[in-house]
Amino acid sequence: MTLRLGRHTFADDAMLMMAIVNRTPDSFYDKGATWAEDEAFDRVARVVDEGAEIVDIGGIKAAPGAEIDVAEELRRVAAFVARVRTAYPDLVVSVDTWRAEVGRAVCAEGADVLNDAWGGADPALVDAAAEHGAAIVCTHTGGVTPRTRPFRIEYANVVSSVIEDCTAYAERAVAAGVDRDSVVIDPAHDFGKNTVQSLEVTRRLGELVGTGWPVLVSLSNKDFVGETLDLGVGERLTGTLAATAVCAMAGARVYRVHEVTETRQVVDTVRSIAGLRPPARAIRGLA
Amino acid sequence: MSSVRDVVVVPSTLALLPSYGGLADPVADLRAACTSAVQWLVERHPSSIGVVHGPARSDNVARGVTRPAGLAIAQHLLHTDSSVPSYLSPRVEVDDESVSGVLVVANGSATRTEKAPGHLDERAAGFDEVVGRALREGDPAALRKVDEELGVDLWCHDVPAWHRLGDLVEGPVLRAVVDYDDDPFGVQYWVVRWQCGS
Repeated sequence: MTLRLGRHTFADDAMLMMAIVNRTPDSFYDKGATWAEDEAFDRVARVVDEGAEIVDIGGIKAAPGAEIDVAEELRRVAAFVARVRTAYPDLVVSVDTWRAEVGRAVCAEGADVLNDAWGGADPALVDAAAEHGAAIVCTHTGGVTPRTRPFRIEYANVVSSVIEDCTAYAERAVAAGVDRDSVVIDPAHDFGKNTVQSLEVTRRLGELVGTGWPVLVSLSNKDFVGETLDLGVGERLTGTLAATAVCAMAGARVYRVHEVTETRQVVDTVRSIAGLRPPARAIRGLA
Repeated sequence: MSSVRDVVVVPSTLALLPSYGGLADPVADLRAACTSAVQWLVERHPSSIGVVHGPARSDNVARGVTRPAGLAIAQHLLHTDSSVPSYLSPRVEVDDESVSGVLVVANGSATRTEKAPGHLDERAAGFDEVVGRALREGDPAALRKVDEELGVDLWCHDVPAWHRLGDLVEGPVLRAVVDYDDDPFGVQYWVVRWQCGS
């Protein structure tokens, strides 16, 4: 399905890199490396150079912590969105927020995508996307409250729950006026899930792809990778890329990542294995 | 009239279930304590054990999981399931006179540290101290008074089980042994054995 992300349209075989840009002092992976605006802007330049089609700008870390109100979230992201929009007109600008009020403000500054990591916790977010012609990412969290950790959450069938909730959210977005080509679903690894559940979602990702909605995966350096390999936050790239390969083989369309170059290489390799992309240069045995 | 003579308390962490297990056991010490305590209970009451646990969490029920986690953990530790009630019947009323051993599946708060599942709540230490003291001192009356609303705030969904245990034990607790008392993930776990008079 053709994917329309705000001002930008992508062919149905395009696999897109969404680079994470945190405007936070305390996110789990970069720990404030791009908290300063100029550092964040340098990160945008770097990931654009590495070939990312999308930047995902977030002002609140996912884990519990100090309350960040709407005003503070907007201070962190709104002007930055405008700066990136102006500097990179061809770049898709996504904002990681669950709040409709923030969504409206950042769309007014030029955001193309509202990436709701918290499963529709604010039901008006779809209206914000519809009003501005923005795309929306519909995640599955099992109904948890934003910024809470999963605690003994169980599912009779985790993938069925993911499909049911994501597709219901997607249809709700369309009913609110979001273009059907501008809706993406995300099973949200680690969110409302333990490691075993996130692994099962990865193993059965093809069932999500089978719904017909474009699938985004956010795997990068997450705890389910860390627990699978018993590795700390800074040691999870290999495991992340293994999970990425599985999702690419299943047909995921968008990859929300810290490491753009490495992820792109994995996705391109998988696409070539799948017969969807010719090798970059093939001379071995052919000369 | 209660016929309860011995009680074992174990926590309701899903990490005890093999379906969520990994290559290494993150709760090896806890599991060893649970296994040992449950074995003690089974040896003393081979055919008359009842189980006390909290209700299935409503959010999990909505996702299709109707079996309470505490029951699943009890069945695992007792090596049985509801279809083979050899010495455990989850339907048995624990104040039934045939029940003399009780396995309680419950724990404390899950908000003891910033890395805890429910993040840090300063009230957690006080809440857990109330429950922990009751368990250490064999004080069922104190368990009957545990604040359920505060428990929910602190991500402890087992207060109904603490109340039930408090109701069940009518006579004095002659001996209380704490085999495990720790919060390795910011969740308060206990493994406790009580021997009760009648």
